[in-house]
Amino acid sequence: MPKEGVFSRFRKGYRGLKEDLETPDVSEIELKKKRFRLIVIFGLFMSAIAFLISISISSGGVIPVSEAIGALFSAIGKSFSGDTNLNMIELYIYNARLPRTIASIAVGAGLAVAGCMYQAIIRNPLVDPYITGVSSGAGCFAMAATALGFSIPFLADNTLYIIPVVAIVGGIIAFAITMTVAEGSGGSSVNYILAGTIVGFAFSSVQTVFMSMGKDNLTDVMWWLYGSFANITWENAWIVFIPVVGISVIAMIWAREFNLYSMGEDQARQLGLSVKKFKRVTMVTASVLTALCVAFVGIIGFVGLVVPHACRMALGSDHRLIMPASIVIGAMLMLFADLAARTVMSPAELPVGAITAMIGTPVFAYMLMRRGRNYDG
Amino acid sequence: MTDEPPVLRIRGLTKEFDGFQALKGIDLEFGKGLLIGLIGPNGCGKSTMMKCISRIHDQTSGTIEVAGKDVSRMKASEVAKLVANVPAEAGQTFGISVMDMVMLGRYPFVDKIWWENPEDERITREAMRTFGIDHLRRKQVALCSSGERQRALIAKAYVQEPRLMLVDEPTSHLDMKYKLQVMEYLQKMSRSDMTVIVAEHDISLMARYCDVCVIMKKGEIVAVGDPKEIITEKLIEDVYEVEARVGLDADGEIYVLPKRYVEGSL
Repeated sequence: MPKEGVFSRFRKGYRGLKEDLETPDVSEIELKKKRFRLIVIFGLFMSAIAFLISISISSGGVIPVSEAIGALFSAIGKSFSGDTNLNMIELYIYNARLPRTIASIAVGAGLAVAGCMYQAIIRNPLVDPYITGVSSGAGCFAMAATALGFSIPFLADNTLYIIPVVAIVGGIIAFAITMTVAEGSGGSSVNYILAGTIVGFAFSSVQTVFMSMGKDNLTDVMWWLYGSFANITWENAWIVFIPVVGISVIAMIWAREFNLYSMGEDQARQLGLSVKKFKRVTMVTASVLTALCVAFVGIIGFVGLVVPHACRMALGSDHRLIMPASIVIGAMLMLFADLAARTVMSPAELPVGAITAMIGTPVFAYMLMRRGRNYDG
Repeated sequence: MTDEPPVLRIRGLTKEFDGFQALKGIDLEFGKGLLIGLIGPNGCGKSTMMKCISRIHDQTSGTIEVAGKDVSRMKASEVAKLVANVPAEAGQTFGISVMDMVMLGRYPFVDKIWWENPEDERITREAMRTFGIDHLRRKQVALCSSGERQRALIAKAYVQEPRLMLVDEPTSHLDMKYKLQVMEYLQKMSRSDMTVIVAEHDISLMARYCDVCVIMKKGEIVAVGDPKEIITEKLIEDVYEVEARVGLDADGEIYVLPKRYVEGSL
């Protein structure tokens, strides 16, 4: 009998998994738990790799990974012990690359989670995080602030914050109007889409008015309209990262309630969910998440629309699997997109939203052609 | 023997939508182990009544008691353990698989935040075998045939282990064979502890399978009783404004054959 090699053992393991799937009495719950663990392990592993690549490569050139890790740890050590005497590489990695990397993970995951939540609640394949008019409201206010050149008293000496703060206010105002109109017209899913769309149109048209008023200083706001991580610092990276982690955890806890929604509102209500309250809370949560992401890095399309769909195609309809997968894939896509944005045409920076679409579209089109027939998203 | 409260007791139930009276004072009472047919023209309040019982709608006035408990005073998740609802159509199901959908019926029972326990899975699989859909468990609901989908919806309500199951037009999209099959499933369930109320337009089918028929018209109950006694040509004309022939076939089963609608009733 030939000795069993690694390869044949691997093949046996793979066959074992296939047999698992074909046995009639295998526990579907156990299979799901297995897949969940796989997603988490694979996600952490890939994120770690992407993270290392992201801090090692940039427009300044490539630092060997080992050196980058060393510099990162020594910089963190120094910052904890209060030593401000960082060398060039440490300074660069700790103050420029690390916050930017953290912000791209947070925004990628945040947009994907928000998109996934909206899609589960509104049950329409075209829904993305900007469906409630948040991005248009934020864009309109950002443009107005730039065109009219107004400043906020307590932010007078920190102009970097003017656009984010104004954008967040605009996004929340737009969402409040959408919510009022949608609830006033009965609060059904279609009402939400319609209300969000018209509010979005209104704010976009006001935005073009301000755009033609403030032709001279448009460059200040252009980075924002196309999305960029260039203005991320330690101070604002946390403002995005912490809420994203919190809201992602909440969204995962709600996974079974999102599953109920796939049967429609009447059935969800009949099975014991207070549908109106749940929808309202989810909408507000997802919109706050979107507004936070949009405020600091601008409008990055595609991720929130396509990442949840791709996960649905690959994993089925259970949000206990789709939610974590969306978080991981969204974060990774954004990391690589930002990496490409700052390196491809270096030293010039490309709009990151364009990159996400360029990477994502072929992948998504391929999946759609392979799995789309069996997918009624 | 203890005095068990009736499975369903409705007193003075009314429901108004924007000034329209959909239900005008319904009184009903049923014990366990019955298959009850709910018959009436479109818009007579059948679905509204069933939605009030399962708390999808809140009633305007009156009380609904299931197994002695007032459902309007209970938490929705507690009602879900007593009453299950089978909708006429699954609607857009967003890629959900048959087993995932059936398992949703266990939602009110799962205390843990995330995963169902082996007991939930055992109940689900058993129900799927009972209704002959176990081999479809990974198939998407949207890709199933109407007959398969209807059985999956009934299985979903079945795993809720309710005292009262409400079924809304279960056979409207099915051919003759599946109609009979679905009615047989409903009858079998009603022979256990469960009471099943089914709303349906096929009066012959109802008359054949149901123990009791409830005839409704414009939000009111016109007649309640043994279908063989209450379904007459006069009743059909009163309720549906249709002249029909009601008779018994060679096996002694009632059949209803619509002839023409009453002149000027449209």
